Amino acid sequence: VTGYLLRRLGHALATILVAVTLVFLAMRALPGNPLLARFGQHPDLKQIEWLEKQYGWDRPVHEQLGTFYWRIVRYGDFGESIARPTKSVAGELREKVPATIELTVAALVIAIPFGMAAGTAAAAWKNRWPDRLCTFGSLLGVSVPVFFLAIGLRAVLPWFPVSGRLPSTEAAFEPLTGLFTLDTLLRSRLDLLPAVLHHLVLPATALSTIPMAIIARITRGSVLEVLAADYIRTARAKGSSLLRVVLRHALPNAAVPITNIVGLQVGLLLSGAVLTETVFDWPGLGLYVKAAVVGDTDYPAVQGAAIVIATMFVSINFLVDLLFVWLDPRIRVK
Amino acid sequence: MTNDELTHAFHSDFGFRISSLCKIASLSLFAAALLFAAGCGGSGSGSRGNVLIYAQSDDPKTLDPISTDIAEAVHVITNVFDTLVTYDETTTDLVPSLAESWNTSADGLTWTFKLRPGVLFHDGTPCNATAVKLTFDRLLVPLTKSSSEDGIKQHGLLAHPHVYDAVRPYQSAYSMIQGIETPDDLTVVFKLSHPSAIFLNNLAMFPVSISSPQGLAEHGRNFAEHPVGTGPFKFVKWNRGQRIVLERFEEHWRGPAKVKSLIVVPVQENATRMQRLERGEVHIAEGLSPAELDVLAKNDELVVQSHEAMNVAYLTMNVEKPPLGNRKVREAIALAIDKNTLLQIGYGGNAQVGVSMVPPTMWGHDKTMVDRPFDLAKAKQLMEEAAAEEGLKLPIRLELSVMNQARIYLQQPLPMAKFLKDSLAPIGIEVSIQGRDVSAHFDALMGGEHQLGLAGWNSDNNDPDNFLYSLCDQDNISKAGNNLSRFRSDKLHALLIAGQKEMDKEKRLKIYSDAQRLILQEVPVVPLAHTQIRTAHVKGLAGFQLHTTALVRFRNAHFEAAQ
Repeated sequence: VTGYLLRRLGHALATILVAVTLVFLAMRALPGNPLLARFGQHPDLKQIEWLEKQYGWDRPVHEQLGTFYWRIVRYGDFGESIARPTKSVAGELREKVPATIELTVAALVIAIPFGMAAGTAAAAWKNRWPDRLCTFGSLLGVSVPVFFLAIGLRAVLPWFPVSGRLPSTEAAFEPLTGLFTLDTLLRSRLDLLPAVLHHLVLPATALSTIPMAIIARITRGSVLEVLAADYIRTARAKGSSLLRVVLRHALPNAAVPITNIVGLQVGLLLSGAVLTETVFDWPGLGLYVKAAVVGDTDYPAVQGAAIVIATMFVSINFLVDLLFVWLDPRIRVK
Repeated sequence: MTNDELTHAFHSDFGFRISSLCKIASLSLFAAALLFAAGCGGSGSGSRGNVLIYAQSDDPKTLDPISTDIAEAVHVITNVFDTLVTYDETTTDLVPSLAESWNTSADGLTWTFKLRPGVLFHDGTPCNATAVKLTFDRLLVPLTKSSSEDGIKQHGLLAHPHVYDAVRPYQSAYSMIQGIETPDDLTVVFKLSHPSAIFLNNLAMFPVSISSPQGLAEHGRNFAEHPVGTGPFKFVKWNRGQRIVLERFEEHWRGPAKVKSLIVVPVQENATRMQRLERGEVHIAEGLSPAELDVLAKNDELVVQSHEAMNVAYLTMNVEKPPLGNRKVREAIALAIDKNTLLQIGYGGNAQVGVSMVPPTMWGHDKTMVDRPFDLAKAKQLMEEAAAEEGLKLPIRLELSVMNQARIYLQQPLPMAKFLKDSLAPIGIEVSIQGRDVSAHFDALMGGEHQLGLAGWNSDNNDPDNFLYSLCDQDNISKAGNNLSRFRSDKLHALLIAGQKEMDKEKRLKIYSDAQRLILQEVPVVPLAHTQIRTAHVKGLAGFQLHTTALVRFRNAHFEAAQ
């Protein structure tokens, strides 16, 4: 087992290295650089050339790449943002990642139960109205663009705030972990918990539609497959009710593909829901990466975020693999 | 293990798993229900009265006046700091601010400013000549060579201990300053290298916002996110990406501001900003599109304020890309654009036709200049002549660069680009549109990669030099220069340099009139429009007055008592 784990770890590291190097090269290939974005309407060629030299951008790309990795090894950080001078990228990411985790968890809390329930119902009543409703709903879920969904949700649920994490006037609150739901407890500000949850509802709902739809479809397919199996027929023949058969036999056997897809979705969501975060002004990883790539061409910020995202993605996949072992004893036996 | 035992183990194992799976699912369901239920409390509308909430389209990157160029930062800086001179509340006249009075030597090389006595910074220290000198030194100190391998990150990299960020976009606007002397606590003397007509205007700009020496020493590198000035609002807190909180400065030399606190929130999406205003979650929303403002204007709870501005939107034609070097081609393009229709398409009619690069709201704009009429027949004829001269076969293909994001001077860039494409088709120019994000767009344009390009400019300092020299002089052709058409003319250059050094306003008027006529004749650019500033806010907000120079000032803003 240790050998297996080590091999997996090696794969994971290699994956991260390749992903981050690709991002590094892609950023250098993009037109423009962080300085031009900062000087805006008033570029000053003399200053720009001086700064480019200071940052080492006049060096060959492979040398810059080497410096970048050496810096991580030597100082253990990702450097300072160029767009926001004096801010360390690592420090900024520590603020942004929890915001995204909170949003992701909230979205999954909505997506998993509803998605699984809908998928199971669709399978149990195949080709009847619950099935059609589920199919239609999941098609809608994956295809409605977030910005449109946001407008719709705000109209349907007008008592929830339009955007942000807390009311603008709530400035005294000092987050600790960055997970506001937890921080209200840690900072003894439970009075703020309703407001925090309140602000979570619309973005989490908007973010949940795609994973919910995918989970529903996968659940439906897996449960259907299991329901067609011989042992289910046997169970039914022995007099088990449909509900018991689905809950006791079909769902557990469908657990592996469902976990698989949930794991993938978690990875995707954590890597930053750019659109949702933009529309709802959620100051998370997605918004951070978007600003760094599109507006600021902020090399250190993009590279730091790439490392964090790649690491999270790889770790979650690893966790999912471990979960398989727990969920499906056959994998363990092998 | 027998077969039977195996089956049994398998089942009991699964039994355990399914029950925990069910538990997880039902727990999630419960949490989801809680999430929704908790939300049904009161709605989070912004409280009126002593708190004013301003929504803008992005979060600033830095609040250090010397290191920024973007409007979102300037809106905050303007209210935290004061400058030596400033613009009148309503007009574009320069009035005393931290400087009480000033005079110029006969040769125009020495400017002496008397500072207002008794002015305090937010940290309680007095605003004196030392602070003024420090402010200018930070902006002007030259870059030095670094021997440290860690480069930028190290302290003391620049020749000044209080410069923490080497990016100083406006440095060149103050390059005429050769030395600053402080004979006493309240006197500052500027020695200039040459007489400059734009010097005083430049002193009203935000990069020379007078900063507290103690604040700089205390916050060091963090001054960028903890600015200390003398302005009507003092900085309290900045949650990046969420809000900037300012509080009124009770000891402000002009008396305290009317609202107690000012909160600036970044709201990225126009639609979101608009909805937050409609819900009363914010009180002022800037940067909305004409169509959105038209919707809001119909709302009884809201007011859409419009005000003249100082900007220009124009079409640049890169003269280094044939056949745009041929004046006839450029003139044909200018003749083929129906600017009145363009105003409807690009601005919903809320703009003025551009004839000169200098906006009509600015002194020095030559009102007597007559634009080329919209004349397709003449345009076609010119194109045919040019084609013959250049040995080209019509139609020719040209690429039009355009930015994907709106700017105040280009509120709907893509529809405008499409209109230009349709306008040029009949005269034998097939246009393909190349859209880019705004910083990449200007990067390409400054690099001279484009053929045609949509661009624009906002005034910095209320002087025609800022439009004509910056956008049309041959000094500003480089990969970072704003003469995007790369048009060279010694005659124009001589005029524009003379305009900078001439102190007599009447003579400058004549010089700039000549320059504008020369540009109209040579058509390196086609001025398209000058737009208004429009901002929406809640009804009952008084004392918030848009300004021609796009300054956003909150000192007088307040809510009228509800009836």
